[in-house]
Amino acid sequence: MSEAIYQKAIDAIMEADQKLALEAVRQHLDSGVDPMELMNKGFIVGISKVGDLFGSGKMFLPELMLAAEVMQAASQALNQAMPAGRESGYAHIHITAATVKGDIHDIGKGIGIALFRANGFTVHDLGRDVEAEVMIDDAVKNNSQIIATSALLTTTLSEQKKLEETLKKAGLKGKIKTMVAGAPVTPRWANRIGADIYAENAHEGVQGVIRAIKEG
Amino acid sequence: MRTAGDLVARVQLSKKLRINEAKKYVADKLKIGVEELCDPVIMSEVRADLGFGVMMPLGGTPKGLECKFNIARVLDLDINCLNRFKRMAGL
Amino acid sequence: MTKIFTRMGDGSPLEMTEAELRGDIEDGISQAVEKGDVPPLTQEEIEYLVELFKRDDRFVGVPLGKEVILSYDAATLKIKRHALFEDRINALAIYERLLGADTLELCHVDYSYKVLKPIVSYEQATLEQALYNTHAPLFYGAMPNLGLYTQPDGPFPNPMELLPQGRIEEGRAAYDQMVEAAVEDICFIAEAMWESGADAINFDTVGASGDPDFKASLMAVERLRGKYPDLPIMVGMAGEFVLGMHGEMYYDGVRLAGLYPKDQLALAEKAGAAIFGPVVNTNANESTPWNLARTIALIKPCGETASIPIHANMGMGVGAVPVTDYPPVDVVSRASKAMVELCRLDGL
Repeated sequence: MSEAIYQKAIDAIMEADQKLALEAVRQHLDSGVDPMELMNKGFIVGISKVGDLFGSGKMFLPELMLAAEVMQAASQALNQAMPAGRESGYAHIHITAATVKGDIHDIGKGIGIALFRANGFTVHDLGRDVEAEVMIDDAVKNNSQIIATSALLTTTLSEQKKLEETLKKAGLKGKIKTMVAGAPVTPRWANRIGADIYAENAHEGVQGVIRAIKEG
Repeated sequence: MRTAGDLVARVQLSKKLRINEAKKYVADKLKIGVEELCDPVIMSEVRADLGFGVMMPLGGTPKGLECKFNIARVLDLDINCLNRFKRMAGL
Repeated sequence: MTKIFTRMGDGSPLEMTEAELRGDIEDGISQAVEKGDVPPLTQEEIEYLVELFKRDDRFVGVPLGKEVILSYDAATLKIKRHALFEDRINALAIYERLLGADTLELCHVDYSYKVLKPIVSYEQATLEQALYNTHAPLFYGAMPNLGLYTQPDGPFPNPMELLPQGRIEEGRAAYDQMVEAAVEDICFIAEAMWESGADAINFDTVGASGDPDFKASLMAVERLRGKYPDLPIMVGMAGEFVLGMHGEMYYDGVRLAGLYPKDQLALAEKAGAAIFGPVVNTNANESTPWNLARTIALIKPCGETASIPIHANMGMGVGAVPVTDYPPVDVVSRASKAMVELCRLDGL
């Protein structure tokens, strides 16, 4: 029975069918199994598949946005059934996201944020051309665990390094993790500047953040 | 311009020919072998003889637009800027 | 056991055993087959790649007779990156007579068709002068760059703000308007440059803003070729597949979102492009053998079926060339050689 409900949740996300998602939630809650199980074995599996398909060019942005809406509705429905202080999914994980100072390219950031939101994360989008200090202020204000930056140009890469240095000066390095992404960004660059997570693309970014959260 | 790359590229552009066909077209027009198109020794001589322009042009030799007239004539190509030049110069 | 020297996709040095090398090549091919719906490479082609990476030559090249054209995009922009502040006509002469470039491209440092409209007359004058002084085919080039058409850079609502609010149809309507405006701008500039004597026009990084970007480019090619049948247009892609930002855009009855190189080529040919430049992105997390095998598998069908010349994009972060400002010659030359020999390319 549970497997069928998990599959229904996966299908609901992949087909962006909110009615089906809420039906899966209701059936799961009726069965008395921990609500978190449906999130982990159903909805998160579904959204991960959506991310994979989007990354392969087999699913498109509007569909991703619709899937995100269904994911949000499912999370809310499940959270209502959870004991106080416990939440399903990643809504309690806050991410401050921005394109770095001097860079106005925001399509990649937009796609990344869409996928993070689809996965249930709470994202604070600061837009583009954003100073490192502004990102840190926002992260502190919103209690963000992650600051995610995008840099499309080789000329603006250095702003990601500046963020690491500014975090160190503020005594926040390690307390707030950083994720770097963008066309010229590489694992080598991430290592050099001391960034915590490298994202080759939006999907890998989500996986990287999930890994970082699990590792603490 | 060390060899014939610019000439083959012109043929690719104006006739949409794939590389082997474009090379053959140029070689036939220049009356040389296809394999000679990429030889800088042979091609610098061919270019100098035909006034196609070379990497180190001396005084008294064709340069720039002058060379394009020679290229257009020998390769039987229409070169856009030459038409404009003639129009502007009232030729 | 002998180790084989190669690099990661970010250029970091890497040593592999032959078994690891084969594993990466096969894995790269599998990914291309799965994602791009292309046939796998043959065993003979796999052996070719293994032997290519086993060679200890620092630099490799194609055999005599297999040479191809080396076309350059954004030449007058790239020279500025080296803090060489030559005027653009001199820059083109340097490319032609010092670097031996087979084609040249005049471009503005702000490399988008939209921003060129107010300064087109100055660009024309520079092009006209450059044509007097150069010999190789001279392109005028820029990016369709539909990103500049949304607020705050342009007049249309930003779909990246509308879509997350669930305003899908409004977002799509904005994309539709952006396509129309971009076609006008691209054609305006291309027509002016052709009238000024350009040998060809380059549409560079097509699809950078997804399917609307690709659609605008195809429509512009079609319209320009209708008006000027002799005008050659090079269509160079931005990425390996067309991002579905709109998702429901079609050209000639084909849905654009998600198209991989061989299907992109078919539409570029149909629209009337003279040269097509496919792109496969380098994955910085994988090795060069993995990236090269994947790239070849994705681009090979273009070379096999094309009726127009194919100049694959080979540079920082594309065509298995590492994502680094200083791509090492060992991997660049291996990637170039293999791409030409296995993909039947006409140029790079």
